[in-house]
Amino acid sequence: MSEAQLEPNKDNNEKSQNEPNNAKLDHSIFDADIHGQSANMVYLARIFSWLSPHKKLATVSVLLVVTASFIAVLLPVLISRVVVDNIIIGEADLLMPDFGLNTLMTWLATITGLDPIIAACILYGLLTLLCHSFYHLHRVTFAKAILHSLRDMRLDLFRHMEYRPSSFYDKVAVGRVMTRITNDVQALFELLMGLGMLVGEFVPFFIALFIMFAIDVKLTMYLLIAIPIFAFITYFFRMATRRVYRMIRNTVSQLNQNLQENLSGMQVVQLSNRERKNLSVYRVINQKNQKHEIEAIYLETGYGAFMDNMVNMALAVILWFGGGAVIQDAISLGSVILFTQFVDMFIRPIRVLGMQYNVLFRAMASAERIFQALDWHEQVREPVKPAKLPERIAGKLEFRHLSFGYEEQDVLHDVSFTINPGEKLAVVGPTGSGKSTLIRLLGRFYDFDNGTIFLDDNDLNSIPSSEVRKRIGVVLQDFHIFSGSILDNIMLGNPSITREKAIDAARLVNADKFIEALPKGYDTLLVERGQNLSQGERQLLAFARVLAADPEILILDEATASIDTETEQVIQQALKQIMQDRTSILIAHRLQTIAEADRVLVLKNGRVKELGTHEELMAHRGVYYTLNQLQFQDISINPAE
Amino acid sequence: MKVLLRLMPYIRAHIWAFSFGISGLLVARIFEAMIPMYIKMGIDSLTEGKAGFDFTSTVTQQALFYPAIAIVICVILQMLVTIVSRILVRRIGMYAAFDLRNRIYHHLQLQGPGFFQQYSIGDLMARAINDISLVRQVIAGSTRMTSVLIFTAVVGLGFMFSLSLQLTLAVLLPLPIISIVAYRYSKKIYDQSHLVQEGFSDLSTFVQENLNGIRTVQAMAQENEEVERFADVNQQFADRNLELFVTTSMLSALMPTLAAAATIIIIGYGATLVSAGDITLGTFVAFFSYLGLLLWPVREIGPLVTQWQRGASGTARLFEILDHKPEISNHPATDFPKLTGRVEVKDLSYRFENKDKFALKDINFTVEPGETIAILGRVGSGKSTLLRLFVRLLEPTNGQILLDNHPIDGFPLDKLRDQVCLVLQDPFLFADSLGDNIAYDNTDRESDEIWKSADAAALRDTIEDFPEGLKTILGERGVTLSGGQKQRTALARGLVRMSPLLILDDCFSAVDTQTEEHILSGLKRVRQNLTTMLVSHRVSTARHADRIIVLSEGEMVEMGSHTELLEKGGFYADLEKAQSNTSRLLEDLETSDE
Repeated sequence: MSEAQLEPNKDNNEKSQNEPNNAKLDHSIFDADIHGQSANMVYLARIFSWLSPHKKLATVSVLLVVTASFIAVLLPVLISRVVVDNIIIGEADLLMPDFGLNTLMTWLATITGLDPIIAACILYGLLTLLCHSFYHLHRVTFAKAILHSLRDMRLDLFRHMEYRPSSFYDKVAVGRVMTRITNDVQALFELLMGLGMLVGEFVPFFIALFIMFAIDVKLTMYLLIAIPIFAFITYFFRMATRRVYRMIRNTVSQLNQNLQENLSGMQVVQLSNRERKNLSVYRVINQKNQKHEIEAIYLETGYGAFMDNMVNMALAVILWFGGGAVIQDAISLGSVILFTQFVDMFIRPIRVLGMQYNVLFRAMASAERIFQALDWHEQVREPVKPAKLPERIAGKLEFRHLSFGYEEQDVLHDVSFTINPGEKLAVVGPTGSGKSTLIRLLGRFYDFDNGTIFLDDNDLNSIPSSEVRKRIGVVLQDFHIFSGSILDNIMLGNPSITREKAIDAARLVNADKFIEALPKGYDTLLVERGQNLSQGERQLLAFARVLAADPEILILDEATASIDTETEQVIQQALKQIMQDRTSILIAHRLQTIAEADRVLVLKNGRVKELGTHEELMAHRGVYYTLNQLQFQDISINPAE
Repeated sequence: MKVLLRLMPYIRAHIWAFSFGISGLLVARIFEAMIPMYIKMGIDSLTEGKAGFDFTSTVTQQALFYPAIAIVICVILQMLVTIVSRILVRRIGMYAAFDLRNRIYHHLQLQGPGFFQQYSIGDLMARAINDISLVRQVIAGSTRMTSVLIFTAVVGLGFMFSLSLQLTLAVLLPLPIISIVAYRYSKKIYDQSHLVQEGFSDLSTFVQENLNGIRTVQAMAQENEEVERFADVNQQFADRNLELFVTTSMLSALMPTLAAAATIIIIGYGATLVSAGDITLGTFVAFFSYLGLLLWPVREIGPLVTQWQRGASGTARLFEILDHKPEISNHPATDFPKLTGRVEVKDLSYRFENKDKFALKDINFTVEPGETIAILGRVGSGKSTLLRLFVRLLEPTNGQILLDNHPIDGFPLDKLRDQVCLVLQDPFLFADSLGDNIAYDNTDRESDEIWKSADAAALRDTIEDFPEGLKTILGERGVTLSGGQKQRTALARGLVRMSPLLILDDCFSAVDTQTEEHILSGLKRVRQNLTTMLVSHRVSTARHADRIIVLSEGEMVEMGSHTELLEKGGFYADLEKAQSNTSRLLEDLETSDE
């Protein structure tokens, strides 16, 4: 334990090692990299459960697309059956379906006295307008239903993650949780929108198919042969591209990782003369990427051109067989023209289906990750029968035989002591003595089974964690500053804190001086982690924050970083202010801070070594005495003071 | 837009493939535009009764057979030509992206610390990823699409005019309106999708910040308020998405509705012309197909224009980096002697840009080969700046550094850095094996060399603890080392090079004193007769050095051996007293535990 000392610089470097149980982040429980996972019905059903509140909207949307598709199919019918067969050729064959369009046109022509051709034009314009309005409404309602259900899902996910306990975040890299809330939900958006698109493509397909069968079964059958061929080719294309796309994704992410790492370690690269070697490594990956990209170009171009042109090939089929049928008077010429116009409606769904194929796989992997996150149920135990606390409590704390350990190592052993209401207790001890753990347990960040903590004679475990945290205000060493205004950072969204109260709090801790010197005063925006504030200013802000929240008990984990003497004075003043009439526990690093306390508790290796006033402990000449001496030495090491 | 000309070399490098590709696209358009002609021919044969009612007769068969076969041939030819030319052009885009990636990677390696202060890593990554793909799109996509659109319009119009002058002119009437609407909307869509992207990054930032501060949030019992704040950001993102979606959907609805105007012209005017016998029924039908051909370029103009614009701004961003001149000029000198390790620092001063105060002022000292020099000083006293000047990560404002009596700016950079090795304070390790991290400058090193330096850096036990030994992979996918282990690995990386001048920038800060002692004796062993300079905070480290330099506010305040400085009774002596006291007390603390 030669590293256990109070030297400020050191503490920061060692921080990663002081984290509970030295935990290496355990990624294994979050990795859900799925290869070849098929469409999982369970996941789909679960995704749809978020859609159900928007069921009505979704139903309306589907009805709209059916109506719109029906009208869309009528448009070519109007041209072929009404314009060509009826008006131009003059033989409206009654056996062929025209959905009453001829009657409608004739009716329109008679009541308005217009030329039939003009009436047909008007009809065409009206139908187009109607059709595309419906399509538009369908798309908008559908997007709304999807966007709103995924908005809900994202919120649920965020809420869920917000309530996972500290022990959870000890193990999980924040980035992994983040991508689930952001990117993975986005992947589902793509999936659901894609499914919507499929509906929009398949409805007209079936309607067109129905009409085509009604006109000529044989010709339709010939065209239908094309579908399995297309589907087959699409399937093979997707199989081939899946591998290539995966290789591209892999090489691209390798390229990015390599570049990112090279940029982060650029100085080391340059100092080691590794530029040429690294470039050649990068070039090799780049080469591989290029190879796969070009493979993808071959595949995509071949497939794309094939599918584009098969539409035209179908035209030849229609002309040949359909033309023959016209000659035999089996169908009208208009019907052949109708077929040529339907061809596109026939082929598009297959292409769209092919496009959605890859989306589906990616989305399933995302869905798995999202549901995995929602199923992490780790949480701090909440009492079944919560104890009722009065409006304001006295603030007495009692530790009774408390022992605690993280997964692998024991940290606290049989800790017992009492703090009376309004008393100020300084806790000192070398690094790793269990000071921070004490705070974590008091804040109910971890469950503990051995021993008890009493808050005004209530077992801490019988009080809901949110209630505990309202009563016990914790100022952490690395307290977090959120991007937002200074005022936001003091109020932290707590509705019971008014602007006036927040400004008062800032004034009481002497933060008003630096805040008012800022360009926009209390409304000055801070960047994340408050990089535009000095260390001392951030500390004062944290004090203002806790003072505004006005908890009955204050816990302060003093920052170890060195601060100039002047700032130190201001902070000590502020500290006095926030401790006033409040039971306080100070994890102290500075002598001045210890001097503010009524009693001192010395922790070492998780045990209570000494407890008493400063004078008593100095007289005892034990651990506290030694630590105290060290503290003095530290000051002389740092000539700045 | 002018900046796009800078991409010309990439096209010129493959000018034949490019020209073939583009001309192929023209040929393909002609084949495509011929198809409606054959449909017309077939339909006309049917109406004119050329095809008799007897379907088995050869006349009938020929009347339909010829157009049908012609269509098939056109389709196949068009398909083949399209495939070949598309591939030719698209490959050029990929080649350009490949080359640009290498180029930017290489260029970034030439930049000094000033550049990396100006551009964040995230920004550079974004340029290397997004902007290169934009450039690729311009070279392979926009050029091709533009040619295709022009060819389609020209060829289509040519065929239409040859069929019927009046009907073509009539059909053209609504097209300008369509293209204006398409252009306007694609601009709006571009702006709105920008907002959506911003919304997404707001969302990500919010989540990231919140999760980083989750302990604070929970300590202040603010989970619910945070969820509510998130709900706002989330709602905004959904709203922006919906707005964008309404616009795109509106465009997809408007386009065919406006196009219907042209269709109505064909129906109304065309049918009249057919009745009047001016055009055939086949022409009438063919016009529907040609309209489809024409509408496509009209619709695509808008998106294409934004694609060119985005490509141009991406190209500009990329060349901004590629045009950035490296701060450190490199002299490719021919001969470079093996250094003995003699160092002379003459009137050396350094001032950071935009700062009034000098970080280093008139530093003068000489180091003889084989000497070990310790540099002490407070935070901000200029120690790290001094060290960086030795390897030309920074260029001095005044004065110079001489190695074996040669000014260092006369050396080629790689040769200089080959012989002067600086180990940085922040130990950056690569996601590679432990052994390759140590032998980073030359991965072909023998393992004895690596072990020798690992021994000197007190790293042997750590390495042997891993089952994979030197092959242990570091980083996210492998083992995470502690701060001290990282520092020792970085130290081993410096030691393995056995360079005539080794400079250590506070490399023991995360290492405990005992290990440090171990390392210092290892250092003495392996660096016999080689010059070493090291920065430290601890007197216990500095005392091992032959001489000690004390820096304060950029000036050299003391220099001499440990005993000399102690006798002198200045800054160093005070520090020594304080620190020896500390370590004694620490020992007390250790032993007081029963």
